[in-house]
Amino acid sequence: MKEINELNLPEDLRYAEDHEWLRPSEGAARIGISDYAQDQLGDIVYVELPAVGRRLNKGEEFGTVESVKAVSSLYMPVGGEVAAVNGQLAEAPELVNTDPYGQGWMIEVKVTDPAEIEVLMDRPAYSKALGG
Amino acid sequence: MTAPGARDQGRPCLLIDLPPTPYTEALDLQHRLVAARRDGRLAQDAVLLLEHAPVFTLGRRGGLDDLIVPRERLAQEGIEVVAVERGGLITYHGPGQLVVYPILDLNRLRLGVRDLVSHLEAVMIRTAADFGVEAGRDERNRGVWSGGKKLGSIGLAVRHGVSFHGLALNVDIDLTPFSWIHPCGLAGVAMTSLAAEGGAGVSMDTARRRLASHLASALECRLVPVSLDALAGF
Repeated sequence: MKEINELNLPEDLRYAEDHEWLRPSEGAARIGISDYAQDQLGDIVYVELPAVGRRLNKGEEFGTVESVKAVSSLYMPVGGEVAAVNGQLAEAPELVNTDPYGQGWMIEVKVTDPAEIEVLMDRPAYSKALGG
Repeated sequence: MTAPGARDQGRPCLLIDLPPTPYTEALDLQHRLVAARRDGRLAQDAVLLLEHAPVFTLGRRGGLDDLIVPRERLAQEGIEVVAVERGGLITYHGPGQLVVYPILDLNRLRLGVRDLVSHLEAVMIRTAADFGVEAGRDERNRGVWSGGKKLGSIGLAVRHGVSFHGLALNVDIDLTPFSWIHPCGLAGVAMTSLAAEGGAGVSMDTARRRLASHLASALECRLVPVSLDALAGF
């Protein structure tokens, strides 16, 4: 596993306890999993995502990610309606490993309550939570 | 060889030796322990050791395509097929196979999922060596292999950083039902067991003790045997 100081943790993102990231924006917020999460999972072979239009609460499971011989649940960092999913991951799940904040994004969500974004961790807080 | 519990170093980890347990009952117990571990009601990691009555299980991505006999045949044999949330595809569990479910808070252990898979493989390889059976990894197909045949399998699930499901090591099991499937989706794979590989003094009880000891070393924990009753509140 990477050392904490080797992890790529962008400044412009918010992070959740279960290692999802969220990129705040005017429209739908993009969500994925952090460099820490992809690194400790190892090679990702399958990503299961929700249907567009589905409404999910903060903390609800929105999908799963299968690494070699292990299935891990993914959780909503905020509540909202799924506006888009990254269809590319069906053919190329490894994008989550190679580009977790870019092409490896998972879903876009119309956030119900923007206050839920405010309580997510910023980079320093997430880095501290990881023990760095 | 260090006996389980003899190590007094490391964090405590509960060890629960279960009697033969129906699959769905063990699954329900795991779900309850995972929830309790996550919210802190269960203060230690726990490892369940058990055998299942004959059952086929499918991983999250299914695997019914890899069932190569009609389902009616399984019904005639009285063997259920259960779909579960673990990784991997179809597999078989039955008497004589040691099943180990580690309920671990991976964040607290600072252990990655891929490292846990690797540890579980190592633990099966060391257990096989204790019986004089040479086993190893195959980089293309995970799990543990001996003489080109599959000896042990891994399929994990993780919820909120807590692991469940686990490993299955063929100790002295009737291998026939494996011939009704492509185990783990692999066509042409033959299964084997410690007994079939000529292991010396193979017994389920010894396999349980050896494997538990190796698991404690790998996880750097101290095993604390408890009865199932101790978990009744969860």
